[in-house]
Amino acid sequence: MERGVPEEEGGGWRAVHRRLIFFGLVVLFVVQTGLTWTSSTRVAEGRGTLDEAARRGRQVYQEFNCTACHQFYGLGGYMGPDLTNVTRAEGKGPAYAKGIILHGTKRMPALGVSAAQADDLVAYLDAWAASGTYPVRAVNLTPWGTYREMHTTDDR
Amino acid sequence: MTADRDARLFVLLGVGALWAGALFGVVGSWQHVVPGIFDAVPFVKARPLHVSLVVAWIFMAAVGGVYYYLPRLVDAPLHAPRLVRLHLWLWVGTGLAILGSYALGRFGGREYWEFPPWLGAVVAGSWLLLVYNFFRTAFKGKGPWPAYLWMWATGIAFFLFTFLEAYTWLWQRPDDNVVRDLTVQWKAYGALTGSWNMLVYGTSMVVMERISGDRSVARSCTAFLLFALGFTNLLFGWAHHVYPVPSAPWLRILAYAISMTEWIILARIIRQWRHTMQGAIDHRGQLVHRFLYASELWVFLNLGLALLISIPAINLFSHGTHITVAHAMGSTIGINTMILFASVFHLANDARGMPAVRVADTRWGFRLLNGGLMLFWLSLIGAGLVKGWYTVMTDLPFQQIMERVVPFLASFAVWGLVLFMGITLLAWQAVRALWWTAPRSTATTRSPVIITPPPTLQS
Repeated sequence: MERGVPEEEGGGWRAVHRRLIFFGLVVLFVVQTGLTWTSSTRVAEGRGTLDEAARRGRQVYQEFNCTACHQFYGLGGYMGPDLTNVTRAEGKGPAYAKGIILHGTKRMPALGVSAAQADDLVAYLDAWAASGTYPVRAVNLTPWGTYREMHTTDDR
Repeated sequence: MTADRDARLFVLLGVGALWAGALFGVVGSWQHVVPGIFDAVPFVKARPLHVSLVVAWIFMAAVGGVYYYLPRLVDAPLHAPRLVRLHLWLWVGTGLAILGSYALGRFGGREYWEFPPWLGAVVAGSWLLLVYNFFRTAFKGKGPWPAYLWMWATGIAFFLFTFLEAYTWLWQRPDDNVVRDLTVQWKAYGALTGSWNMLVYGTSMVVMERISGDRSVARSCTAFLLFALGFTNLLFGWAHHVYPVPSAPWLRILAYAISMTEWIILARIIRQWRHTMQGAIDHRGQLVHRFLYASELWVFLNLGLALLISIPAINLFSHGTHITVAHAMGSTIGINTMILFASVFHLANDARGMPAVRVADTRWGFRLLNGGLMLFWLSLIGAGLVKGWYTVMTDLPFQQIMERVVPFLASFAVWGLVLFMGITLLAWQAVRALWWTAPRSTATTRSPVIITPPPTLQS
């Protein structure tokens, strides 16, 4: 077997540079992770936070695997509608959401959620509704391929 | 020899997971078109069964390959061969517990890891066995690492980190908001996908080196440039998943800038297109090459799609639509599965010392898989375009938008069935090659770094 560190195979100073670049990237990753954990949101303080009922609602959402069909901000399964603003949307609201959770629809079976669990789920959905609006409908594109809403720091 | 047998068992069980995962994919796709069909396995169960089994295929085939190839690449035996078996049975046990929890409707985790969170602790713990074995073995090799060892090392280390990060929701602060939580979740998922891609791309490079006998490719500046770009995107290029989420502007702009560096890779693919096509024609009679060249086509198509949907103005319309599913399917089937099938057949041939499966045995499976996938992929893009347009540009309610999408979903379900038939034929050949052919008696964990394939191997 061929041994040693021939220069043409990436030995010597080039190998050192590779390690430096690699560890530099890892350091940047750690910095970015810290920033993401601490300052990745522009939602105003106190909005979109979970009270006790909403925390229980999150547990119910996960135990019934609602994410298989539904999304928040477009993230989740695509069988059912996005739920980000369901409790505050025109023509909908908490009672509408609770009714569907308890009784289902033509496409969505009633999953056996109790009335107390449905209240907790509605509290959880309302925390999402307080955090922002989805989808973005105003299409103000920029020459750089972005849209103006993604540059702003105001709450939607 | 024992570690080799366990490595083959990893791969064999991975092939079984692929077949079962594809079957649940068919069930889920038809549930989109015919509500109430397959009521015994409702969509809330079919989806996690499909996703978890396909992810299990990618990990088991890639990890089995790492355990098999690594001793040959560093010219030293695995540091702890018995831990391979422990790892295997821990995964099998955990996998069965996860499938059982889905079948019984016992969820509790988040998207993609919907099983009860304590099972995640077992997955992470068993991964530590691979971390230990990989690094202790890899450091036995002499000289600087080729690009594939860097890819495997980063894939293995970052999977553990990002998997743990995906569970930080268990320790949330009381004042935390849902947007920060969602952002961290998708940061972890984006990097996690990048981690398993590193494992698969490293495997691709290993297989190419072994079948060509050319050591220079994995040690060239280009290989390391591609590794650096892939790694940078693994670390920082995930935020296009959350452009529409009210996250901080710096996060989105950084992700946009990082994503656009992948134009370099696309430009390189286009520049080498003629060379690649000629290679594909020259090697069309060689089994492993066929899968590797097919994966190159899918890299081109899927990278093009990924670049387009990373442009925020386009992402506005594609986010939350089936275009995202097309991208996921193109990556996991078109790229990862093609590379892993190449590795599976190469590994089976190498263990046996002669061809276990020939091109003729896989011809129909290969055609159905690639042809079915192409039309399946285009159907999903069509569905996404319609859904995205009506969602952003109109106030139509969800049900009315979905009525316009249904013809594309019907096409997706039909071609998904064709795709499943292709996977079935190939999985059958893979099982035959891995299980029903005895390994050659002279194979050892100290075989030379480069095994020049016998002429018959490539047919």
